[in-house]
Amino acid sequence: MVSISTSVGDIRLSNPVMLASGILDETSGSMKRALESGAAIAVTKSIGSSERKGYPTPVVSVIATGMLNAVGLANPGIDSFSEEFSNFPVKEKVAVSIFGKDTEEFLYLARRVEGLGFKILELNLSCPHVAGVGSEIGQDPDLVEDIIRELKSRTNLQIWAKLTPSITNIVTIAKAAEKADAYVLINTVKATGVDIYARQFLLSNKIGGYSGPGIKPIALRAVYDVRKESEKDIIGVGGINDWNDAVEFFLLGASAVQVGTGLYYRDYGIYDNINAGIARYLEDEGFSSLDDIIGLMVKS
Amino acid sequence: MNFSVIKEIVNENDSIFTIRFDSVMVAKPGQFLMVWVPGVKEVPMSLSSIGDDFAITFKVFGESTKKLASMKKGERMFYRGPYGNPYPEPEGKTAYVAGGTGLASLLPLIRKYKGDVYTGARTRNDLFLLDDDFRIATEDGSLGFRGNVVDLFVKEEDEYDTVYVCGPEAMMRSLLDRMHREKHGNVYFSLERLMKCGIGICDSCSVNGYRVCKEGTVFTYEQLKKMDEFGVYRRSGSGKIELIAKVQ
Ligand SMILES: Cc1cc2nc3c(=O)[nH]c(=O)nc-3n(C[C@H](O)[C@H](O)[C@H](O)COP(=O)(O)OP(=O)(O)OC[C@H]3O[C@@H](n4cnc5c(N)ncnc54)[C@H](O)[C@@H]3O)c2cc1C
Ligand SMILES: Cc1cc2nc3c(=O)[nH]c(=O)nc-3n(C[C@H](O)[C@H](O)[C@H](O)COP(=O)(O)O)c2cc1C
Ligand code: FES
Repeated sequence: MVSISTSVGDIRLSNPVMLASGILDETSGSMKRALESGAAIAVTKSIGSSERKGYPTPVVSVIATGMLNAVGLANPGIDSFSEEFSNFPVKEKVAVSIFGKDTEEFLYLARRVEGLGFKILELNLSCPHVAGVGSEIGQDPDLVEDIIRELKSRTNLQIWAKLTPSITNIVTIAKAAEKADAYVLINTVKATGVDIYARQFLLSNKIGGYSGPGIKPIALRAVYDVRKESEKDIIGVGGINDWNDAVEFFLLGASAVQVGTGLYYRDYGIYDNINAGIARYLEDEGFSSLDDIIGLMVKS
Repeated sequence: MNFSVIKEIVNENDSIFTIRFDSVMVAKPGQFLMVWVPGVKEVPMSLSSIGDDFAITFKVFGESTKKLASMKKGERMFYRGPYGNPYPEPEGKTAYVAGGTGLASLLPLIRKYKGDVYTGARTRNDLFLLDDDFRIATEDGSLGFRGNVVDLFVKEEDEYDTVYVCGPEAMMRSLLDRMHREKHGNVYFSLERLMKCGIGICDSCSVNGYRVCKEGTVFTYEQLKKMDEFGVYRRSGSGKIELIAKVQ
């Protein structure tokens, strides 16, 4: 068997497929189920310092090319999160996603996460539909640089910076996030949609994030652009439903991938499907390990 | 998003309404719709009638159900679905056990297959769509048996080969714990949880890692026995754990 193991920052992974933040990861039961179904890492939904109910329904809408969502960063807050996850059985396989409005809030949350015994922190610098956090922070290079510098110097966590594609040049923000251990590219694309018979927006918040098959080309381009400028590990995310989608990301420089909306199309079988497909592809094409194809089309 | 033109709105009692509409959808007993009330919210509703005549039957709780109840014949009702897995077909002698609006979800089955219906509510004024042969429990004793529908049903439980249950989660947990039969093969419960997406991606309806909207809403006795969260705690809109009050 060819090897499909990989690494991201200091973390060695038995396979390259992870669960993305915000999809089937609110409850500890579902986090366990993702890991039991073959995800190498499960990323939690983004957690803030206090409880947020999120927006009224409708918060998701399936469209022809994927999905729109504006859940509104609904989360129980770090205190309730800590209660539920303090005894989680496999903390090393969890990345905790956090969001905040400034360096201080990110640092506070990071210390709480480290105190719980988790090793990986994913920074949501990219949620497109809540004011004052997410992509509003993630478009400010100075702030991004400051947050990551502080987190790296004051904690021992692996820091993954999740960036927004809804910006003129993603490389600018990637450079600002240089001290992170890895980039996560990309979050949803800022977007909207209309029901023409109700003559209403599809989402209660009007504006939301676009995910699924339609954004794969955008995500691939982000990975490629950043890979050309940086050697840092990249986790590719956006529109991955199948192993061949994942292989595109590897060839353009991603060391691992995350799946979100793919769970809507493929459900929990998606992890085994992608992993088996990658192994078959490597074997059929004469490669001996996943490492052989990571960034293959960028190096040459 | 689909829509249907409302054919009729029936007032079943003070607070319970049925909206009838035509549709070409293919649905089975036990499935639900996500009904969209533009400008208010999108809420899950079981189909209370399926076939030539589609319907939802609901109690007015808050803003969306209030708005639905005030809609008029000829207006459009927006929805997506049907979602969830249907009730399996009955075998042998059948009982239906309904608490409150849980009866709505069981109605398409009740109309299709013979069986005894046990239904309960707080007072006689909360009951709806009663047939003469329904076995009734009211907590205040204003009609039928005084007590809850679980007390009424467990005494007769052994008579039935197939049992369908839909009602408040605490009531269903209490029934699950009190059932004493040897064979639980054909005992089905339909769960209701807060649902944001209805399509299995948001996790707001999950019980022990199982999504009520996707792996449910119908679960078997054996499945539920293994779910220690069932009837004990649920999630609020933020995902925070909330305790479910026990049935006395
Ligand atoms: C799969 C599924 C099927 C459902 N089918 C039906 C149905 O056929 N008929 C029906 O009447 N309802 C049904 N419900 C419940 C229905 O979705 C809610 O009643 C509805 O969302 C209320 O919306 P609202 O905006 O009117 O009230 P909200 O503003 O959302 O709620 C107002 C208050 O009522 C409480 N409340 C809401 N629903 C219930 C409830 N069911 N029981 C007790 N308290 C409640 C809330 O906690 C809140 O305090 C179903 C739910 C699910 C998950
Ligand atoms: C319903 C939903 C909720 C999401 N919530 C979050 C979130 O809380 N934090 C975050 O960083 N990304 C969130 N995302 C973005 C995903 O993690 C992912 O970056 C994006 O959906 C693209 O990948 P996909 O096409 O595989 O879904 C969410 C996406 C969806 C569809
Ligand atoms: S309502 Fe979203 S997963 Fe069930």
